[in-house]
Amino acid sequence: MENNDIAWQNELTRRARIYEDIEAGSRFEGVMTALDYAGMTALTLVLVIGFWIWGA
Amino acid sequence: MTDDVAHDRLAVIETERTDAAFYRACAERGDAPLLPSERLWGFWEFTYANSALAIATWAFLIGGAVGLFVGPKEGIAAIVIGNIIGVVLTALATTTMSGRYGIEQFIALRSQFGYNGSRVVYLLAVVLLTMGWLAVLAMMFGRSIDGLMALSAGEAANPTGVKMTVASVGAILLTWFVVAKGPTSIKFFNMVVSPALVLLMGVMLYLILSQRSFGELLALPALAPPFEDNTLNFIVAVEVNLAAGFSWWPYIGNLARLTKNERRAFWPNVLGIFGAAALGEIVGLLAAVALGESDPTIWMTKIAGPIIGIVALLFVAFANMTSMANILYTSIVGLRQVGTASVRAIPWGTILFLFCVIPLGLVVFYPQMYDGFFIFLVWTSALNSALAGIGIVDYFFLRGQKLDVRSLHGPQQNGPYRFWAGFNPIGLFALAIGCIVYVVVFNPQTLASLPAFKYLTASIPACVAAGAVHYALTRLFARGRGWGQYP
Repeated sequence: MENNDIAWQNELTRRARIYEDIEAGSRFEGVMTALDYAGMTALTLVLVIGFWIWGA
Repeated sequence: MTDDVAHDRLAVIETERTDAAFYRACAERGDAPLLPSERLWGFWEFTYANSALAIATWAFLIGGAVGLFVGPKEGIAAIVIGNIIGVVLTALATTTMSGRYGIEQFIALRSQFGYNGSRVVYLLAVVLLTMGWLAVLAMMFGRSIDGLMALSAGEAANPTGVKMTVASVGAILLTWFVVAKGPTSIKFFNMVVSPALVLLMGVMLYLILSQRSFGELLALPALAPPFEDNTLNFIVAVEVNLAAGFSWWPYIGNLARLTKNERRAFWPNVLGIFGAAALGEIVGLLAAVALGESDPTIWMTKIAGPIIGIVALLFVAFANMTSMANILYTSIVGLRQVGTASVRAIPWGTILFLFCVIPLGLVVFYPQMYDGFFIFLVWTSALNSALAGIGIVDYFFLRGQKLDVRSLHGPQQNGPYRFWAGFNPIGLFALAIGCIVYVVVFNPQTLASLPAFKYLTASIPACVAAGAVHYALTRLFARGRGWGQYP
């Protein structure tokens, strides 16, 4: 049982270290950029304002 | 000798493979962060999954509820406005961090509410709400089955009869069976059912438009507007749809962690959840107003005739089950994380079944709950909108989009997310403020509202108030006390 716990903690540490390495090297793939957030904001505003004017 | 060495090596390799498969299964269930290489879903697969989640009969039913307040033109506007705001804010609060770190939503929530506080949030946001949703969706499934049996036999439907109860119980048990097989079976279910349901909505829209022109439909009045003030009716309709958008908060984070990266975790929500939900609600709205009946299990039989009606009801019944499978899976993944060691020790299939016991009881002993669907939905937004506000502020503005995966999964008693006895009083206070603001601005039970409701809605002030309180108090008090490892 104790061996299993140690093995599981080692596995969690291994996984956490992988993410720490990715973060340290700024190697996250598919990160949301300023362009994504600008596009999201523009899309939301266009839909809200456009449909407000059309429907309300 | 050589054979012995080779045999030993093979045994070691086999053990390593078994361990790797075991750890991956644990990670899929949320016990550990999923590594990028282990994630299942790309953009389209997550879009299908989201569509399947959004396209259930709840979309039809919400559309019908909107038709009570406003006519189709205002209703379509309210559906688009409410859903896009609700879905975008909810996705920002949940899917970006899950997509980046592959982390289970309620483990990540330890950084906002503490390791015991996240349990409280789980109980409020998931256990109560998901059990309620499972029961409501199962009853919709049951009514669909009852409706199609009545249609095929040429009899009148009995939506509260024994057939409905048996079918509802069957839906919950079948959902349990599907989810017990793991996320791969849900993925298969989504990939098959979701495209078929998009097609069904197109057919329904075509049938509605073949009976009346779009212009005639837009000119139809609301079914039962509660106020003389049309602007107030419109804002209530927007609020219903904000509630629908925010209602994804407990679920999409744990689905998003199965995607390959952050961008694929976020954008499919706009296409899948917003697009599919808006389409389904618009179909429900147009049908409800055109046929004077908000229950989809009834208007489908009226609009399409017996044969197409049976096929449509069958599709819709199983669409409900895909949604049930998705919310059950995400809820249990969360439950295993917030629960104690003894909860985590319960086998996957058993814990799933135990979670289904209360929904089964509701279906059998409290079928009236189905009729309270609309009020139930709007109440959920008091909580979910505040949670979204806190999540966005904490992850983006207080932590700069960085989570400590090691500390979140490590021992919590002396870790940085201990806060105060495992509770972050700031996060919980902000949550309470958000809920209070919501109910003061708009009471879902009575529909009474402050004058500001007409200009601000209730979900948006609740979201902003909760986020602002969380930000200000964290800046003022958390860092000095060393709470929460804020940078």
